Amino acid sequence: MATEGLHENETLASLKSEAESLKGKLEEERAKLRDVELHQVAERVEALGQFVMKTRRTLKGHGNKVLCMDWCKDKRRIVSSSQDGKVIVWDSFTTNKEHAVTMPCTWVMACAYAPSGCAIACGGLDNKCSVYPLTFDKNENMAAKKKSVAMHTNYLSACSFTNSDMQILTASGDGTCALWDVESGQLLQSFHGHGADVLCLDLAPSETGNTFVSGGCDKKAMVWDMRSGQCVQAFETHESDINSVRYYPSGDAFASGSDDATCRLYDLRADREVAIYSKESIIFGASSVDFSLSGRLLFAGYNDYTINVWDVLKGSRVSILFGHENRVSTLRVSPDGTAFCSGSWDHTLRVWA
Amino acid sequence: MEEWDVPQMKKEVESLKYQLAFQREMASKTIPELLKWIEDGIPKDPFLNPDLMKNNPWVEKGKCAIL
Repeated sequence: MATEGLHENETLASLKSEAESLKGKLEEERAKLRDVELHQVAERVEALGQFVMKTRRTLKGHGNKVLCMDWCKDKRRIVSSSQDGKVIVWDSFTTNKEHAVTMPCTWVMACAYAPSGCAIACGGLDNKCSVYPLTFDKNENMAAKKKSVAMHTNYLSACSFTNSDMQILTASGDGTCALWDVESGQLLQSFHGHGADVLCLDLAPSETGNTFVSGGCDKKAMVWDMRSGQCVQAFETHESDINSVRYYPSGDAFASGSDDATCRLYDLRADREVAIYSKESIIFGASSVDFSLSGRLLFAGYNDYTINVWDVLKGSRVSILFGHENRVSTLRVSPDGTAFCSGSWDHTLRVWA
Repeated sequence: MEEWDVPQMKKEVESLKYQLAFQREMASKTIPELLKWIEDGIPKDPFLNPDLMKNNPWVEKGKCAIL
């Protein structure tokens, strides 16, 4: 009936304006707490010296773009996934390939190492996240033991085990994140709120409790309570897709990298953005970010093939690393902070120290 | 978000109310604490310590290796 349609439009309009007014109030509340700036407080901090960071290992073997990688807790094994459908486990120290599995789909956009080091998870255009136990028995076919855990209605963009091998958190092009029980494949919690594809996620360090942060094509970074499924905080300051989010080591902040060519730092306790890492000369998107052990350095991989190293406190770039011959798509610091690994569309991974 | 319907918009409004209720703290408290956390961690950060770098497993110790 025509009158029902009219009523629905009025409700939608009034809800939209209520949302706008709430957003306005949020900005007001945030502004009230803004009594100091990071760069002011950081003035008294000593500037960093020169850095010598070089490629120490190059991992060659993928037949196409490397899309994702993750470190094993043992600080030397690495899992990586590629557009060619292959997932490889490397001993990055010797550069030997220890395991390889071919996925039934191309564009394996996400992969993760289980905390025990005994399994890996991966997925992409198949819309699923699957877990593969790692076996050293040469007679066993890794693909035969595959376990399908997560099912989304669009591509899998990111996955991460929680602090055990038993649960996996996923992010998808379908606009949602979800928490799954690995053994049963059961959906434990889903997280709705992004207005477009979710591209990345990161779990809070275990000491800080049950939250995670996600970033998406809606330019929003959202912090979620894993138990209730509620969005606790949201930040909408980027001007384009957020490709990567990473918690600061203490859990009180997180960084993001975006197609708007900037990386940003958000203070979770003050509930606002506190720093922007950018330069006029940097015009290509940042695809992945990670912190050094102390949180003083932010490593960021870009679509212009470089890696920029930022002084988190001063906001300045301290180093620029060349080496990759195509976009840097993924970057993670090793568990003990002695090195970081980058993966690229040039088919290789590099370990830097 | 322009294409959202009434139920989705209701959820967005609920979520915003929840976010508004967050117990935020003053920057003059949180930022110095962030700084202190970093400064406490710097001695153990391999990238910020030339001494630690000497023992870094990824960095070759010398040009010769004993076979």
